[in-house]
Amino acid sequence: MIKFVLSKLGYGLLVLWGVVTLVFFLFNLSPSDPARNLVGESASEEVVQAIRKKLDLDLPMHHRYFLYLNDLSPLSFYNRVDSSSRRFFIEERYSGFEILPLGDHAIYLKKPYLKRSFLSDRSVSEILGDVMPGTILLAICSIGGALLVGLLFGVVAALNKDTWIDRSLLFLSALGMAGPSFFVAILVAWIGAVLWRDAIPLPFTDATLPGTGLNMTGSLHSVNAFSGEYLDLKNMILPLITLMIRPLAVITQLTRSSLLDVLGQDFIRTAYAKGLSVRRIVLKHALRNALNPVVTAVSGWFASLLAGAVFVEFVFGWKGLGQELFNAIEKQDLPVVMGGVITIAFAFVMISILVDLIYGWLDPRIRS
Amino acid sequence: MKFVLPFALIALLLGCQSNLPDESNVFFYNENNSITTLDPAFARDLEIMWATNQLFDGLVEFDKDLNLIPCIAKSWKVSEDGRAYTFNLRNNVRFHPSPLFSNPEERYVTAQDFVYSFRRIVDPALASPGAWIFDKINDPLENGFQAPNDTTLIIQLKEPFHPFLSILTMQYCNVVPKEVVEHFGPDFRSNPIGTGPFKFAFWYEGTSLVFHKHISYWQTDSSGITLPYLDGIKIDFIKDVAVEYQNFLLGNYDFISGIHPAYKDELLTPKGELNAQFESKINFYKTPFIKTDYLGFYLGENTSASTMKALQDVRIRKAIELSINKEEMVRYLKNNTVVAANQGFIPPALLHSPQLHNEYNPQKAQDLLTEAGFPKGQGLPEIPLAATADYADLLEYMQHQLALNGIKISINILQGPTLREASAKGTLPVFRKSWLADYPDAENFTGLFLKKNFSPDGPNYTHFFNENIEALYAKSNSGLPDSSRLECFAAINELVASEVPVIPLYYDQVTHFVSPKIMDWEINPINMIDLKKVKKIH
Repeated sequence: MIKFVLSKLGYGLLVLWGVVTLVFFLFNLSPSDPARNLVGESASEEVVQAIRKKLDLDLPMHHRYFLYLNDLSPLSFYNRVDSSSRRFFIEERYSGFEILPLGDHAIYLKKPYLKRSFLSDRSVSEILGDVMPGTILLAICSIGGALLVGLLFGVVAALNKDTWIDRSLLFLSALGMAGPSFFVAILVAWIGAVLWRDAIPLPFTDATLPGTGLNMTGSLHSVNAFSGEYLDLKNMILPLITLMIRPLAVITQLTRSSLLDVLGQDFIRTAYAKGLSVRRIVLKHALRNALNPVVTAVSGWFASLLAGAVFVEFVFGWKGLGQELFNAIEKQDLPVVMGGVITIAFAFVMISILVDLIYGWLDPRIRS
Repeated sequence: MKFVLPFALIALLLGCQSNLPDESNVFFYNENNSITTLDPAFARDLEIMWATNQLFDGLVEFDKDLNLIPCIAKSWKVSEDGRAYTFNLRNNVRFHPSPLFSNPEERYVTAQDFVYSFRRIVDPALASPGAWIFDKINDPLENGFQAPNDTTLIIQLKEPFHPFLSILTMQYCNVVPKEVVEHFGPDFRSNPIGTGPFKFAFWYEGTSLVFHKHISYWQTDSSGITLPYLDGIKIDFIKDVAVEYQNFLLGNYDFISGIHPAYKDELLTPKGELNAQFESKINFYKTPFIKTDYLGFYLGENTSASTMKALQDVRIRKAIELSINKEEMVRYLKNNTVVAANQGFIPPALLHSPQLHNEYNPQKAQDLLTEAGFPKGQGLPEIPLAATADYADLLEYMQHQLALNGIKISINILQGPTLREASAKGTLPVFRKSWLADYPDAENFTGLFLKKNFSPDGPNYTHFFNENIEALYAKSNSGLPDSSRLECFAAINELVASEVPVIPLYYDQVTHFVSPKIMDWEINPINMIDLKKVKKIH
C-alpha cells in the first residue's frame, strides 16, 4: 500500500514539474512586456529597466526558469553570504532553514515560494490562501450535496423502473445536463435574487410566499462597513444550486443504470432468496457494487471544481480560485497564473491518489 | 445524527442575520476592475485614482469646471521667468491617526512632507509610473524641491512649463507621511495614511474596500460643519457588469459609471437620454471627458508589408476617414452618449475649434481612392484592424461602411496587453486606441505627434513626424499668454487632421448614474470622484 502511494506521489511530482515547465514557457513566449504594461506609455526607459530588474525580467528565460524552480522546490539551493545576489536566502521571504552548507552556498529546506504578483506586489501564497477556502467549500458542498441527492434519486429511479417516478426523474436529470453553466447561473441568480427576492403574494388567497432575501452576489464572507468581515453562508445557496444541477443529473443517471445492472445479477437473487429486506439488499449489497462509475465521474468533477468554477464565480461574484486565475490571465500577471495552475495541478494529483484508494475500498479486486 | 446535520446547516444559515452596525450613511459602489494598490505613487488607473482621491490631498485641486483651487496650499505664486513656484501651505492639515506618529492624533503636514513625497515619486528605486511628471524639475532629488520653513514650498523648473500646476493635481502629487511609508515599505499599498476626507479602514482584497470618515479633516462647509458628510465608503469588486447593474437597481449601490451594452438600451433612449421609466429612480449626469477614441496608422520605419505601404499614402488614410459615418456610429452603437469626433483629435472640452474636419463624405472618399490609383478600392490590399474585444461592434460597423466604398477590412481582436505591446512595437498597421489626458491641457494631446514620444518610449504609436508640429509645440512652451498657446494647439490640430496619422472616432463623455438618495453629486471632465461634499439621505 505504501509503495503504491509513493509511486503515485512520484508520478504526481513529475506531472507537476511538467505543468510548471509548460505554463512557464508558454506564458513567457507571449510578446507582451509586463514591465512596460505596469508603468504605461509615459514612463521613462529607466523606470522600466528598474522594474525589469525587480521582477527578474532582465535575465534570459532559462535562467528565470531555474530561479523559479529553485524558489518552488522545498529542497533548494541558495547563496548564504552575498545579500546582493539574486539567489540570496532571504529569511522572511522563504521561512526555511539550512540543512547542508556548501561554501558560500547551502541547501535549504523551506516552504515553496511562489513569488509576488506583478500587478499588486502581493505575495502569491497570500492571494491563493485568500481565495482557496471559498473554492474548496463550494466544491465540497456542491459535490457532497449532489452525491447525497443524486444517489437517492438514482436508487429511487432504479427501484421504480419504468414508472412515472423513474420517467420524471430521468426527464429532470436530462434537463439538468442540458443547461450550460453560464446560462443556468444567470437564470438561478435572476430567479433566486430578483424575481423571488421579496415575498410573492399567492393567487386566490391572502397568503404570501416568503421571499428568499438573497443577494445576487456575495462570497463566503460579507463585509459590514463598520464591523468588518462576517461569515455569510446564505450567499452560498445560489452558487451551490447552480453547481449542483449538473453533477446531480449525472450522478442520478449513473446510479440508476449501474444499479439496474447490479440488481439483475445472480448474487442479488441469492440475497432475495435468503429473505433479506429490500433496503438491506440495496444499501449493503447492490449500491456498493454500483458505485464505481459514480466515483469516477464525481472525482473528476470534484477536481475540476477545485480549479474554480469560473462562470459561476464570475456571475455570483464569488471570491474563488477560478475568478482570480481568470483575472490574472487577462492581466498577464504571471506569478499568480503560475501559482494558481500549480495549485490546481496539485489538487488533481492528490485527488487521483485518493480516488485510487477509494476504488480499492469499494472493490477489493483492484487492490491486488 | 444523519438527519440532524441538514437541519443544523439550515439553522446556521439563517442564524447569521445578527445585528450589524447601521450602514445607512455609507456610500456604496462597485468596481469591475481590481484595485491593485492604494499608494498614490502607483495611481495610474482611474479606479485607483478614485480611491486614493478620497484618502489623500495634494497642493491644489480642480473644481468641477477645471479651475485650479487651493487644497493644502492656501496660495501660490509663479516667478516672472515662470520657473519658480512658491506655495504657501495651511498649517492645520492633519494626517489620519497612526500609532507610528510620535503624537498619533496630531501629526500636521509640513512643507518637508511634500519634499519627501515628491522626491519619492522620482526615486528610481520606487519605480513609480508617475516618475515622468517631474521631468521638468531642475534637479528633483536635491534643490528642485525646497522647504525653507514648515509652510513654504518652493519648486524649481528647468524651463517654463505652463501645465505644471495641472500636473500637481494628479494623484502622484499627494502628500504621504515619511514615518508610515518607510515603516511599511511596499506594503504601504494596503496601509495608506493620508490627509484626505476619508481614512483607510479595511480591505478584503477581491471582496470589499472600506474607508471611514476622517473626523478631524481640515475642510469645512460654508456653515462651518467639518467635511465629509458621509460616514464611510464601501467599494465592492464584482466583475460582472450585468450583476453590478442589477445591484444598482436594487439600491445596493449608489452609483455606476459609464455605458455598458449590458444595460445601455434599458437605461437610455437612442438619443442618449434617460428612459422615462427611470426618471424618478435614477439621476443621470454627463459631461465631456478629456478622452478621444481613435484609429491609429503606423507610419514608422517598419513598413515593409504591402498594407503598410498603401497606408503611407495620406489619400488612402483620408479616404478611410471620409467613409466612416461617425455620427451614425455614435447614435446606434453608443446611444449618443459619446460625441462624434468631427473637430480634430483634441477634444472640444480642451480646445474649442468651430471648424469641422474630414466629415463623412463617401463621394470624396471615392475620388481620393481613384486619385491614389485604387478606383473603387480595386487593388487595395485588405487592411487588418486591431482592437480589443470591447470594440468588436465598432469595428464591424466600420468594416461594413468601408466595404461600401470598396475598402476591405479584416478584424483582428487582441487582448489588452497584447494590443498595447504590438502597437508599441509598430507591428500593427491600424489599431484602435484611446487617449485619456494625464492632465487637462490640450498640450497633453499634442504629445502623441511628437518625435520625442515615439513608442515604445512614449505615446506616439503612429511614429508620425511633422516639422511644423514640432515647431508649433516648441512655440507653445515659450511662455506665451493662454490665448496664443491655444492658437498653437489649434494649428497642430489642423495639421493632424490634414495628414491623418489618426482618425479620431469619438470624444468620450463622463456618464454617471446616481441613486436619488445621493445629494450634491458633481461630475467633471477628468472623471474624478470627490465624495467629501456628497450627502446621502437616510
